[in-house]
Amino acid sequence: MRDACVIAGGQSKWGYRDATLIELFQEAGKACFDDNPNIKPADIDGILVASATSERLGRQTHLAPMVAEYLGIKTRSVCARAELLCGSGSSAIILAAGMIKSGMAETIMVIGGEKLFTPQRWETFYSQLGSVDHDWDGAQGLGLPPSLFSIIFQQHSDLYGTTEEQLAMVSVKNRRNGLNNPKGQFRKEITLEEAMSAKPVAVPLKLYDCCPVTDGAAAVILTSDSTAKDFTDKPLVKIIGTAQATESNSISNRGSWSTWSALKTAASTAYSRAGITADDIDVAQTHDCFTISEIIEYEDLGFCEKGEGGSFVEKGLSDFGGKVAVNTDGGLLSCGHPFGGTGIRQAIEITKQLRGDAAHQVENAKYGLTHNLSGAVVAHTIVIYGRD
Amino acid sequence: METQFNSLYSVILDTYPLEGKQLTKIWKFFEHLKEGRLTTTKCVKCGKVSYPPRILCPDCLSEELEWVDLPTKGVVEYFTELKAGIPVGFEKPLIHAYIRLSDSFHILSKIVGVKSIDDIRKGDKVKLKVFDVPSIPAEIGREKINIDRVYFAFEPDD
Repeated sequence: MRDACVIAGGQSKWGYRDATLIELFQEAGKACFDDNPNIKPADIDGILVASATSERLGRQTHLAPMVAEYLGIKTRSVCARAELLCGSGSSAIILAAGMIKSGMAETIMVIGGEKLFTPQRWETFYSQLGSVDHDWDGAQGLGLPPSLFSIIFQQHSDLYGTTEEQLAMVSVKNRRNGLNNPKGQFRKEITLEEAMSAKPVAVPLKLYDCCPVTDGAAAVILTSDSTAKDFTDKPLVKIIGTAQATESNSISNRGSWSTWSALKTAASTAYSRAGITADDIDVAQTHDCFTISEIIEYEDLGFCEKGEGGSFVEKGLSDFGGKVAVNTDGGLLSCGHPFGGTGIRQAIEITKQLRGDAAHQVENAKYGLTHNLSGAVVAHTIVIYGRD
Repeated sequence: METQFNSLYSVILDTYPLEGKQLTKIWKFFEHLKEGRLTTTKCVKCGKVSYPPRILCPDCLSEELEWVDLPTKGVVEYFTELKAGIPVGFEKPLIHAYIRLSDSFHILSKIVGVKSIDDIRKGDKVKLKVFDVPSIPAEIGREKINIDRVYFAFEPDD
């Protein structure tokens, strides 16, 4: 079977934006086409749009034909929206790759983003009540996730001794890496002391333990390996393994908060499909929606043993020059998190790392991984990329 | 006479479930709450207990389910307070706890009836608290009715 490759990628400026949802999509589409001037809108035969809150906060349904029209794309193979909250962007990439590999499409733009800052800020938080089981968990006021991740950290700390300082080390590293992405939300380093003394959000989690609310969009163009050679002379970045797995959607009756069994299932499936192991991954963009998430992800993705995630960051093993460089463009903690845009932003950074033109390059990176969790740590989405 | 619709009901996103037998097949859950009972469904065929309550057993696909009582008293295992981004309709302090109701059942619930998070400790005993929430102004056929609603949280069990 043929392979699906990433041949272009770009994003809008992310942050608190003076732009509507459809304007953010136009900025992202423009940046994506600018990344590879050989590709024109007429070369695209399909579009997949990733957006989780396009109706509630972006005020728009039936989004895909609208984005296509604004970007001058006339589709022939696919024109639809994909939604898996924080995993929407990576879900759309998986669907596009499958269509290209099977021959149902040739060249697809995957574009995702959100308009999360509403004129009245309360609308944003309020709308999150529908992101967990609305009737049973949303009705308990559990829409916004910091409370859950506080409980996750407390259990991880009880079992493995993970400290609030180790959490802060994740945010210090990712804020430093955020200097690598000029379109990220925050481009300001923080010190360990600043992170430790920040105001509480969900006790004991503090401000820099949590990713921000973000407006933004991002886009990539995927095509088959044979067509890719018509558009680029750069090394081809192929999608070589993908997986999605889920566990208990209900927040009650969780088996464990601090071991994510669905992440382990998704990781072993994706590694097996790619024909590699965790040790082969050179660079990873994982879902650091909270600092504790990144620590558990080191463990359940197999970068270190269970319970050693805290010391993994403390020893610098997730930094440039370590065992695997994690969130090299700053992750969600620096870039922000417009849900549908995040998996695509991760794909852009992995593409740059594997083709060798990243802002801060991981030397000779051959294999890269992206990971998203979504909902109340319910679904895990993994995409593994390999350089030709 | 025209039924007065409840002005607290928000049409943007209703915080609470559709309750009442006109709107949901699991309406008995809410009737039980009004009696101070926390209940869920158990499959008559295979014995699987599901929470939240269902109309279909996810293990054997049987539709033959019965209501069973869950404990209404439990022990706090973990707790936290959301300090920022409290959704409209929820009051400060917004405290959540992961509560052990039995060896096989935990629930993550809001904690009410405390002035501050300092009033809670791991291992504290808590009990079910049922309260009224805004009714639903519902158009059922040609009729307009208000469907009264309740919901639940947990409070200290002194």
